[in-house]
Amino acid sequence: MSYESPIRDQLVTGGKTYRDVTRDITRPLENPPSKGWWIGFSLSTLVLAIWIAATTYTVIVGLGAWGLNKTVGWAFDITNFVFWVGIGHAGTLISAVLLLFRQKWRMSINRSAEAMTIFAVICAASFILSHMGRPWVAYWPIPLPNALGTLWVNFNSPLVWDVFAISTYFSVSLVFWYIGLIPDIATVRDRATTKARKFWYGLFAMGWNGSTRTWHRYEVISLILAGISTPLVLSVHSIVSMDFATSLVPGWHTTIFPPYFVAGAIFSGFGMVLTLLVIAREVMNYKDYITEAHLDAMAKIVMVTGTMVGMAYITEFFVAAYSGVEYEQYAFLNRAFGPYWWSYWTMMSCNLIAPQVFWSAKARKNPKVLFVMSIIVNIGMWFERFVIIVTSLHRDFLPSSWAMYTPTVTEVSILIGSFGLFFFLYFLFSKFLPSINMAEVKSIIPTHHDDHGHADHHHAHATAEKGAVHGH
Amino acid sequence: MDTKKMILGVYDNPDKIYAATKKLINSGYSIEDVYSPFAIHGIDRLMGIKRSRLSVAAFLFAMTGLSLAVIFQVYVSKIDWPMIIGGKPNLHIPTYIPITFELSILFTAFGMVASFFIVNRMFWGKNADIIDPRVTDDLFVVAVNIKENKTDVQALNQILIENGAIEVRERIKED
Repeated sequence: MSYESPIRDQLVTGGKTYRDVTRDITRPLENPPSKGWWIGFSLSTLVLAIWIAATTYTVIVGLGAWGLNKTVGWAFDITNFVFWVGIGHAGTLISAVLLLFRQKWRMSINRSAEAMTIFAVICAASFILSHMGRPWVAYWPIPLPNALGTLWVNFNSPLVWDVFAISTYFSVSLVFWYIGLIPDIATVRDRATTKARKFWYGLFAMGWNGSTRTWHRYEVISLILAGISTPLVLSVHSIVSMDFATSLVPGWHTTIFPPYFVAGAIFSGFGMVLTLLVIAREVMNYKDYITEAHLDAMAKIVMVTGTMVGMAYITEFFVAAYSGVEYEQYAFLNRAFGPYWWSYWTMMSCNLIAPQVFWSAKARKNPKVLFVMSIIVNIGMWFERFVIIVTSLHRDFLPSSWAMYTPTVTEVSILIGSFGLFFFLYFLFSKFLPSINMAEVKSIIPTHHDDHGHADHHHAHATAEKGAVHGH
Repeated sequence: MDTKKMILGVYDNPDKIYAATKKLINSGYSIEDVYSPFAIHGIDRLMGIKRSRLSVAAFLFAMTGLSLAVIFQVYVSKIDWPMIIGGKPNLHIPTYIPITFELSILFTAFGMVASFFIVNRMFWGKNADIIDPRVTDDLFVVAVNIKENKTDVQALNQILIENGAIEVRERIKED
């Protein structure tokens, strides 16, 4: 129903009809899962078991189960938290920011990216809980009346802001995701052949019937949700960065942190989206929906944001040198040439140098290159957080309290296990919910592919409609 | 119990249903609703649907969240239990900004979505009044209200078919 410029490539290839879209995308939901799904699901369940075991062990034993010491009080826990929260930024970015910019290629990837966001934030939250050591008092940062004559939280603390930011981000993303799902859940409900499917999808479809009045309101709230989610995404990682930036630790106390963290979050988020989608389009046979053009667009974002974080790394160095503060200067020299030099150079090569391969259009369209690159980006961004946290802390102001940090088996298990948690949820999602937004994809399919005689009429009409507010 | 009689025109293309709806409205028929698998841009204006006031509701919810956040933080840190932390003032507006912002967004999102469900009368487990199970798949349906002995059904069918309806049928809806 929208106007497509003849010079643009079509977003959905293969001459799909509306019916094809419904059939292709509901196929995994309506058929027994494939062998690949069972293998992936079983594997991630096993890894999830590692996570459960290691986290339970930590809760029973306490933080002594980790390699933290009096100098390095934050290490794997917060590294993993920031890593997962960063990944959790691509989903809302894709759906919200790209909606505001009218980037229609978002439509076939936004659903799975939003799902990824929610699962990544769940992983991140699990690290917040476990790093407290006593997760049963995790409600303390929430300002609740309490037995201490109501001793409130300190609203000057970015850790308190973070509690509000992450929980708002999680719940608003969940709402945004669910609103997007309703029309598609209704599609599954109306096709249902089994009683169970009819019941469950009917329950969550909330009586959706495709009425224009509902669609009109739906478009209004989608636009507003996108409008409020855009600053929300930017604020969440800015606030995460303030956990560091408002402290006085050299290497943390810099004003560049908020934009630098946001760019890094987009970078790592798109890295993870690529990892998932390159596999999903193969396994679920969605190549007509997630085309090479989609991969190309995502690769460009990865390159741009990777270069932005690289620029931030270099800027930090320059500012440290220019500031004339010897502690600041030492913190950065120690990062690059101190005992953790390898993590610094892993970060540099994965995040700044490797993405430059995407200057080549061939690389941007090659799923194998993209898959390898997406893993490199994930590794690089994990090391970025490790570098920021551990190398800034381990040599603090007094050389007598300098220490080294080595993770324990428990910590490594929790990190690996969190991938199990993430993929476990993702596999369930791909089995039970449509991984591509059918309603949106149908709206970008050309309406005149079957009757070329009416093409002129269609174009005249579409141009006349151009004055209308699109998201309206 | 009142019954409503409607003629349904079923289409397989959004352009055709747009043209048909336009023709019907110009010929003075009363359109009950148009059902489609995705939003057909412009058809809402055609049907004379006024821009939803949900955006106004959203703004009011944002203001509610904002005020509650400011009031609460000021009350806690200035009135109820003032504490000196790092020698900073008790009433320190800039540090209230992040939480105020987050709560405004939270209230907007939840308030607006709840209002959306209320105005559409949507709730979990609602038994959907489905005009045709294929409207969530690949078909588009325009429902035209007719009055017994008053509406010229013949002419109506003519318009629906001329504009490419693949199916025309009658439906009685109990209100």
